Amino acid sequence: MKAVLKTTILMLILLLASSLAVFAAIRLSGGDVTAARLPASASAADRDLFRRQMGLDQPILRQYITYLGDLLRGDLGNSLTNNASISDLAVQKIKNSAILGGMSLLLVFGVGVPLGMVASLKRNSFLDTGITSFSVAGMAVPNFWLALISIHIFATTLGWLPSAGQGGFKYLILPSVVLAAEGIALTVRMTRSAMIENLNQDFVRTLRAAGLSERRIYFKHVLRNSLLPIISLAGLRIGQIVGYALVVETIFGWPGVGQVLVNGVLRRDYPVVQFFSLLLVFVVTMGNLAASIGYTLANPRLRK
Amino acid sequence: MTVENTPLLDVRNLSIGLRDRDGVGYDIVRDVSISLYPNETLAVVGESGCGKSLTALSMLSLIASPPLFITGGSIMFGGHDLTKLSASEMRAIRGAEIAMVFQDPMSALDPMFTVGTLLTSAVKAHQKVKSAVAKEISLAALADAGIEDPKRRFDEYPFQLSGGISQRVMIALALVNNPKVLIADEPTTALDVTVQAQILERLKELKSERGMALMLITHNLGVVASVADRMVVMYTGEVVESGPVAEVLAAPHHPYTNGLLGAVPRLNSGTTELTSIPGRVPQPYELPVGCTFADRCDRSIDICTVKHPVLELGTRTDVRCHNPVD
Repeated sequence: MKAVLKTTILMLILLLASSLAVFAAIRLSGGDVTAARLPASASAADRDLFRRQMGLDQPILRQYITYLGDLLRGDLGNSLTNNASISDLAVQKIKNSAILGGMSLLLVFGVGVPLGMVASLKRNSFLDTGITSFSVAGMAVPNFWLALISIHIFATTLGWLPSAGQGGFKYLILPSVVLAAEGIALTVRMTRSAMIENLNQDFVRTLRAAGLSERRIYFKHVLRNSLLPIISLAGLRIGQIVGYALVVETIFGWPGVGQVLVNGVLRRDYPVVQFFSLLLVFVVTMGNLAASIGYTLANPRLRK
Repeated sequence: MTVENTPLLDVRNLSIGLRDRDGVGYDIVRDVSISLYPNETLAVVGESGCGKSLTALSMLSLIASPPLFITGGSIMFGGHDLTKLSASEMRAIRGAEIAMVFQDPMSALDPMFTVGTLLTSAVKAHQKVKSAVAKEISLAALADAGIEDPKRRFDEYPFQLSGGISQRVMIALALVNNPKVLIADEPTTALDVTVQAQILERLKELKSERGMALMLITHNLGVVASVADRMVVMYTGEVVESGPVAEVLAAPHHPYTNGLLGAVPRLNSGTTELTSIPGRVPQPYELPVGCTFADRCDRSIDICTVKHPVLELGTRTDVRCHNPVD
């Protein structure tokens, strides 16, 4: 309980610090906020008027305090580029991203763990070498490249899957696989090495001496021990998916948080960037919190 | 002590070798014969690396294969040669007929499961019983192993147990299916001296109560003297001397056994200095042609470096030596 309280306070401090960082960074990155909203022919006076209306002529510190106050009241503001309410925008975008991210997370563990187990079970076999090689490739290949290649193969050439956009399940396959690729690769390797390490522990010999079947030893005892490091690093996997979503959503035209954020940055749409960046920070911290709670629950030493 | 004449477990001329992929290697255990009779305690003594643990593990087919292989001999038990059984036949014997207690109980119990889960899994591996029955059997085994409140320990995790209690849990785990043979591989090495004595005493009692054969692997001659009926001394993967404990300890015939005894401190002897055996144990890949103990032996004669001695079977004790101590 005390640990949860401590983590929560740390999380709030982290969120505050990142809100300041994002606020400053987007303003320091140059560019003109009026370019996206006003026509190119707008006069300098019109542009000044727009800045005044949006409060952008105020000193930066005051702008930040106003922003924080609005945020605490739950007022997320409107987009500078099309005046749309960010809260309305957020609901749909978050839902889309959650679908994509959730699917990827499912793939990371649902595919990564079983493949790692197979590799450890068939250690040094042809199958193991195949799985291990694939996972090395998965870690080495950058996801934007993988995205382009998979669009080329499965969408353009074979025509099996749509290349971009959102619709049925078909539209989810390519982006979620590309987004999950590195996580799967890392999880495979981690599962494999954890399983092999635990198979050599003394307790395995004890269980064998007691006459337990190899299957039971492997799937119950060794697996259970091997899940600990996997759970403890699940927070990192979540962070990775959140980060990569920016790239993958943009390439696949997936209308999620990542895409909105990238467009927001390109147009210097301050309120949009501020809110969605903070949201990502929040999701990553929550992911880490969930992972450490999961680790505590899975480890009897910490649970008791 | 009643010792029957048919051995329960009979290891005959067992050799265990380390082999690489091309079958090249050397033997670590050579020509070992050990018989275990019902209701007796046999101590296997020797330095680290002499092959005593490996011999014990081979009785349960638990040697890491590859790279280790049984390269010769047989292990007869209940009319079967254990070295020839399939994996599933062997699994049926492990824990149910022959059980083993390991050293370092803290790492030998799976940390993720309660004592109760570990014990009931072992019960269910051999007996088709309901969970409630498996629990009863497990609680009884814990009590048998000398644990005072089995019900509490049943729900505890290994990390909540002391070393002594862990070792008792290991013993309960080994006993839970009523094996005929219990192998204890240095069961007290990792424990406090006072706890050691209690555990050994309990093992001895259990052996008598159940008429089991107990094979105790140790390098502590004090333990041998207080617990065992017969003893086998191993050196460089071979049996160098074996016989009833009282006789071997009173009058060791092999210079190595003699050396081991000389290295044990005694309170009531006149000598103040402990003797040590000079030199070092040769590695399995550099064994000499003759006796493997020859270059450390003060009784070495010409033949010792030329001809490997055989185990001479005596009326009471067997000795592998060209020039034994009388």
